[in-house]
Amino acid sequence: MTRISTGMLYTQSISTLQSKQASLARIQNELSTGKKVLTAKDDPVGAGAAIGLDRSKAELVRFGENANAVGHRLGMQEGALTQAGDIMGRITELTVRANSASLSDEDRQAIATEVTSLRASLLDVANSPDGAGRYLFGGTQDGSPPFARVAGGVAYAGDQTRRQVEIAPQMFVSDTMPGSEVFLRVRTGDGRIDVAAGAANTGTGQVGSFGLTDSDQWNGGNYHISFEADGAYQVSNADGDVVASGVHATGEAITIAGARVVIGGAPADGDTFSLGPAGTRDVFATIDNLLGALTLAPTTDAQRAAQQNALQGAMRDIATAQDHIIDVRANGGAQLAALDNAASLRDAHTLTIESTLSGVRDLDYAEAISRFNLEKVALEAAQLSFVQMQRLSLFDLLR
Amino acid sequence: MANILSTGTSALLAFQRALSTVSHNVANINTPGYSRQRVDFEARSPQFIGAGYVGRGTQIVDVRRVADDLANARLIDSGGELARLEQLSSLSGRVDALMSESTTGIAGLWSNFFDSVSALSSNASAPAERQNMLGQANALATRFQQLQGQFDRLSTEVDSGLAASAGEVNRLASEIAQLNGRIGSAQNAAPDMLDRRDQMIRDLVALTGGTAVQQDGGAMNVFSAGGQALVVGVQASQLTVVADPYRPERQQLALQTQGQTIRLDERVMGGRIGGLLEFRSQVLDQTQSELGRIALALGTTFNAGHGAGVDQYGDMGGAFFSVPAPAVSGHAANGGTAHLSASIGDITAVDGRNLVLQFQGGAWSATDARTGLAAAVTGTGAPGDPLRVAGIELALDGAAQDGDRFLLQPTAQAARGLAVAITDPGRIAAASPVQVQATLGNLGSARPGAVRVVDTADPALRVPSTIEFLDANQYLIDGDGPFPHAPGDAISANGWSFVLDGIPAAGDAFVMAATAPGSSNNGNATLLAGVDDRAALNGGSLSLNGAIAGLTTAVGSAARHASYAAEAQATLHEQAYSARESISGVNLDEEAANMLRLQQAYQAAAQIISTADTLFQSVLGAVRR
Repeated sequence: MTRISTGMLYTQSISTLQSKQASLARIQNELSTGKKVLTAKDDPVGAGAAIGLDRSKAELVRFGENANAVGHRLGMQEGALTQAGDIMGRITELTVRANSASLSDEDRQAIATEVTSLRASLLDVANSPDGAGRYLFGGTQDGSPPFARVAGGVAYAGDQTRRQVEIAPQMFVSDTMPGSEVFLRVRTGDGRIDVAAGAANTGTGQVGSFGLTDSDQWNGGNYHISFEADGAYQVSNADGDVVASGVHATGEAITIAGARVVIGGAPADGDTFSLGPAGTRDVFATIDNLLGALTLAPTTDAQRAAQQNALQGAMRDIATAQDHIIDVRANGGAQLAALDNAASLRDAHTLTIESTLSGVRDLDYAEAISRFNLEKVALEAAQLSFVQMQRLSLFDLLR
Repeated sequence: MANILSTGTSALLAFQRALSTVSHNVANINTPGYSRQRVDFEARSPQFIGAGYVGRGTQIVDVRRVADDLANARLIDSGGELARLEQLSSLSGRVDALMSESTTGIAGLWSNFFDSVSALSSNASAPAERQNMLGQANALATRFQQLQGQFDRLSTEVDSGLAASAGEVNRLASEIAQLNGRIGSAQNAAPDMLDRRDQMIRDLVALTGGTAVQQDGGAMNVFSAGGQALVVGVQASQLTVVADPYRPERQQLALQTQGQTIRLDERVMGGRIGGLLEFRSQVLDQTQSELGRIALALGTTFNAGHGAGVDQYGDMGGAFFSVPAPAVSGHAANGGTAHLSASIGDITAVDGRNLVLQFQGGAWSATDARTGLAAAVTGTGAPGDPLRVAGIELALDGAAQDGDRFLLQPTAQAARGLAVAITDPGRIAAASPVQVQATLGNLGSARPGAVRVVDTADPALRVPSTIEFLDANQYLIDGDGPFPHAPGDAISANGWSFVLDGIPAAGDAFVMAATAPGSSNNGNATLLAGVDDRAALNGGSLSLNGAIAGLTTAVGSAARHASYAAEAQATLHEQAYSARESISGVNLDEEAANMLRLQQAYQAAAQIISTADTLFQSVLGAVRR
């Protein structure tokens, strides 16, 4: 039989009471914070993992804010490009109208006035601010308006760098398009090839429709069509070698290395036309060309033919530029779609992280409350038994 | 008649003494370390009366304490171990709380800082984002310093704990030695004095750990956990604290004996002192080293990344953080003039261990300061060929003498020295140093991708150059070449590199130029935002984020381990305590019963005297007639 000392009885009871109280305090702390891991000691591995997860979660939140910032700018770009598209549409409309032979020089002059003001509006669009003190179309040199009117055209002060912004882990979206890619690097002609009439032509030959008929044969070279008397023509390449020849009939296509061009009217002896890959020209220069053509006041047939050629060329170039702006808008739209994708990706990631974190750290209230009750009952029992026990002393009975 | 009287008196005296022992027991029920005392009765030598022996009553032969040496030894032992583990657990718990609490820990500000860099990457030229990044960087650096400050405070606490404990050890040891002298042989020693000595031994062992061994002649010898003699007979050892020879601000325990001061190995101590020392070397130093390592790695990797960018003034980025050099301190007894200055050689190889470098026989060797394991040293320390050990480079200045020692703490002090080196938000190098532009007249479909800087140190990095395509498969760089090109090939020169997307046409040109001032290019900020995920530690296998999580886990598991061990030891100690109590403890009911028994016996003995008196009176009455 084990002897019990009175001191031991008290010590044991008190240490039991204390340990029960400590557990109660612990559960109470868990309940009030809602966490089962209060310090790393409670679950070292879990706490370490939680730090990594917290970091990933914070990063996702940050990516969301990055996405908002880019989304804002891309939205502004969308608005600006819509406006630019409208302006280009109006110019195309006016060019088509100007092409009508029934218009007088005064009518063309009126059209030119409107085109001039449209050009100014387009320049304003190209200098759109992003609402935060920078400019949308300046690339990364966006601290000052990127486009400025200078003698003989428009100068671009921005650069061609397009920022990439991380909007989800390892997922980047492109920021706004640099102005150079929107307004400057615009193909002429039909976007692939271009045909121009020689400036010194004396006949009434007009460049009609042209295009590639066989891309495989097209080699990107420059060709020269020179007419002789009675509609006979020769086609020579850049080296001056004659590669084709024939007799021209109005409305009949001339086919050169997979490209085909229709020349209307009657080219005179010595008239030339050139065919080659489409170059690039900035939108403002294209509009300037149109204005130049509109303000010609032709008196001879040859001059009329030259004006027609210039107007047709301008119309094609402006249509191509309009398509180009639509392409840029589509590109911006793709970035906005990527933002949406990234948002759902982030949401999915965040949900996964949160559920993992919750498993590592969060308290199961039902379980904790039942634990709390159990400890409470145990503490009450210990207190009661202590009170009962301490009354049991033989000395009490010695009276 | 006289016989009855003297028998009765002997009983009265004996029971009175026994009752007073009972009352002594009751009186000392709350005295720590008290052992209940018991009275041993013995019949007095009988008287021979011819026909046989007549008893002569009772006498007390001994008042002795009820104690079991084994139970006492167990309690002493478990008490020392418990004190050690409780000390370790409580201090480790504080480091754990410091690191876990979001208001004092590093993880939250760490995350905020990298988020601010990410924010900068979405809006690289915005003054607000730049200012915010500087603010977050300062908050993070300050938190590193604050944590280091807290660790310093804990270290000071350990030092003062050591000094106080040494004083207490000296007092207890000399008192035990004195008691040893007074107790002499155990046979006639006063039980209360033995109790007092046992209690002091328990107090002493709670400070130092260890055991008490009884020596012939009743003296108790006390040894610390590692076998260091604290009390031998009437001789007591004197402990003192001395400055660490490498780090004068840190205290070490030493033994004073015959006018000499001998440093004690940390492993010889258990108990509270052992807990303090173990906490310092196993938890505090390790945590400081790892925190410092993270600070160093952050500083060096972020600076390297920052240096590869261009700021708002168009200049290459300078150091973003100022990173402290690893600490090297010479041993106090060094004879040579050698001075070592350390710098980080390869951060991925730095493991944070403290190393002792020794110059012996004309060569340098290094050993782990804690485990004594050797570490490889290369180089001579001469200019241009620094000593290299564990990722640290040491330049030697002056001449070392044979036997000179140095302590290298690669990272232990680094958290204190980490600071933000720039104050101008415009100096944050968020932009890539070079940008590539496609000439507007290009007819091909090729568009340049993002420029990558592969060598920041290339002197020609920011010199403009032109890449010109002869056809889709060949290009010239500044007239040199031609170089072959296939779709997807990187075009590299002068420390930069980029890939073309699309097919270039003959005559297409791309111009590489330095990024102009005021650029909102975010190329470098995007890279910097990913520095926390870069595997910059442990030979490139551990990311900075991973190290932060690992540090929390390490601190948490040290605290958990200590707390579990302390809980287990508390149970063992309770068992040892109840074992001792069941033998030596006072039970009031038992004392009450004893009291009743002795009271009755006393009353009976008094009755015997009264009976003897009656008998005597009858005889007197008979004679009077």
